[in-house]
Amino acid sequence: MIKKTISWIDERFPLTAFVKHELTGYPTPRNLSYWWNFGFLAGFVLVLQIATGIFLAMHYKADSGLAFDSIQHIMRDVNYGWLLRYLHSTGSSAFFVVIYVHMARTLYYGSYRKPRELLWWTGQLLLLLLMAISFMGYLLPWGQMSYWGAEVITNLFRATPFIGDKVVIWLRGDFSVGDATLTRFFALHFLFPFIILGAVVIHLVALHTVRSSNPSGINLADKDNIPFHPYFTIKDMYGLGVYLIIFFAFVFFFPHFFIEPNNNIPANPMQTPPHIEPEWYFLPFYAILRSVPDLVGGVVAMGLSVMIFAAMPYMDRSNIPGGAHYRPWYRVMFYVFIIDIFVLGYVGSQPVSPDMIILGRAASLVYFGTFLVLPFMSKKEEQWMRARGLPPALKALFEPRAPREHETQGGNSK
Amino acid sequence: MKKILPILLACVALSAYGEEARLDKSPIPTDNASIQRGAEEVITVCSGCHGLKYIKYRNLLSLGFAKDKVDGWRGSNSMNASLPPQMPGNIAKASFGVEPPDLSLMAAAREGGGHYIYTYLTGYHMEDGKLTNSVFPVTRMPDILGLSGTTDPQKRAAIEKTAKDVTAFLVWAADPHAQERRHMGYYVLAFVFVMTILLRLWKKQIWRDIDSLPKIE
Repeated sequence: MIKKTISWIDERFPLTAFVKHELTGYPTPRNLSYWWNFGFLAGFVLVLQIATGIFLAMHYKADSGLAFDSIQHIMRDVNYGWLLRYLHSTGSSAFFVVIYVHMARTLYYGSYRKPRELLWWTGQLLLLLLMAISFMGYLLPWGQMSYWGAEVITNLFRATPFIGDKVVIWLRGDFSVGDATLTRFFALHFLFPFIILGAVVIHLVALHTVRSSNPSGINLADKDNIPFHPYFTIKDMYGLGVYLIIFFAFVFFFPHFFIEPNNNIPANPMQTPPHIEPEWYFLPFYAILRSVPDLVGGVVAMGLSVMIFAAMPYMDRSNIPGGAHYRPWYRVMFYVFIIDIFVLGYVGSQPVSPDMIILGRAASLVYFGTFLVLPFMSKKEEQWMRARGLPPALKALFEPRAPREHETQGGNSK
Repeated sequence: MKKILPILLACVALSAYGEEARLDKSPIPTDNASIQRGAEEVITVCSGCHGLKYIKYRNLLSLGFAKDKVDGWRGSNSMNASLPPQMPGNIAKASFGVEPPDLSLMAAAREGGGHYIYTYLTGYHMEDGKLTNSVFPVTRMPDILGLSGTTDPQKRAAIEKTAKDVTAFLVWAADPHAQERRHMGYYVLAFVFVMTILLRLWKKQIWRDIDSLPKIE
């Protein structure tokens, strides 16, 4: 019966072929580490955010007079409303944790390199969408931090040449953040996840064209690729279990960890909080913004700090395969960069003071400096490594590649 | 890495404790009896000026108060009405200079939560002959519990206990499902933990052929 149904479908739709091509026959390098779990986790978090978000939207009121009360209605009166909301609010932070680890893995292992540029750029697009969504979602509880965060960030668009002031009014729908801003942010916050879903499909199509990178940085021989299912389905499920333990620990025991106390005070346009601070996942970029004394310069620097990742495939000019694992100079740069991001995050969380300004500027210089130095450093590093002789572990990897013709015939070429 | 990490950690630690260092971090009771005593104190004393917009009379029933008692408090108000301030906001503003804030979310709206409230309530003292508060010096609220004028240690202890009860109630009011949430959390975590162990075993089972192959970095 099942066989008959499947063959009935297969005559009309390539179901079996699809499953075989994308799952049971999809070749995946067998040496992927657990750092490769985070793409799947990001997909899971996205689905959970959409699911909880839809139920929250059923009880939420996008009206500046009702929004704050409706959140409390969800927290107190809606059956398991508190659970929905904490899943969603913790989920947004979890989303960024997962995505940042996913990006750090790509940077460490050089997964952005040829032929995966488009894969990396679709990822960059997803990051921008995620940032937009979380920014708009943060306005919806209509607390003090929601309101003033939106006020500060929309105000940045004043940096637009010539029509800056008009753009800000156009974005807000009013002269300051108000009801019109809230309703449009709600509408877009509902729409964008589905655009993300579409962009994820494109990301996956790109992935399945170039296939997963792996820690060695070399496309492995056929015999070292194993089908995605069952090997990586079970590996992803196990990773999901570990993720859920941490995630649920926050949802059930520390849900307020990600909610600013100030946001439990209703939005008040007449009273600016003493210290306006974005959510933790924007802090490094916020620190870069504040490090430039000029508004336009700050906005450009902040935009550049996010978008500069897209240039990685061209800035990294080394031909040494493998990620930071085999590249000592690049590895040092990677860790300096990661530490620098934490320093920037710390600076972004602090009120402005002379010390913080100096620290923020130094860290911003290091941030852009790493990117600036990379093209020269990567070339020099390659020359240095070739002069010294490649490490034995890397050489050994080239050995199984001897039968090259066979490999291209096997369809495993890039 | 080894040098920078302690510095980073120190920065984080300083930023976390800078403001809260003066808060009394002694535990806030979460048992029902304390919350009920605190509720009674808040309804009979605090609600003279403060309302609790998000707490309704029916919520007091689920807290375990007898219906007669709640009926006595609500008078002609509906069971679905919020706990109102006895003194209208504008009149209170005329006498105190500010409108007394709503207390429903007070424990969630301050850094330190319940610890802030408890330290605030017990923070009244005389300084140069003037009444002040250690966590919120410009407060307009009088020392209702009367701690600043009490020297007898026994009486002080009783007042501090009342402050603890009031805090317990306000912490409950800010997040009434917290107990239920933690209770559910133990089951959820236990389930996910066992599930993850089983998935780990299953993964090992499926991967045993692959795991026996020579490693590729």
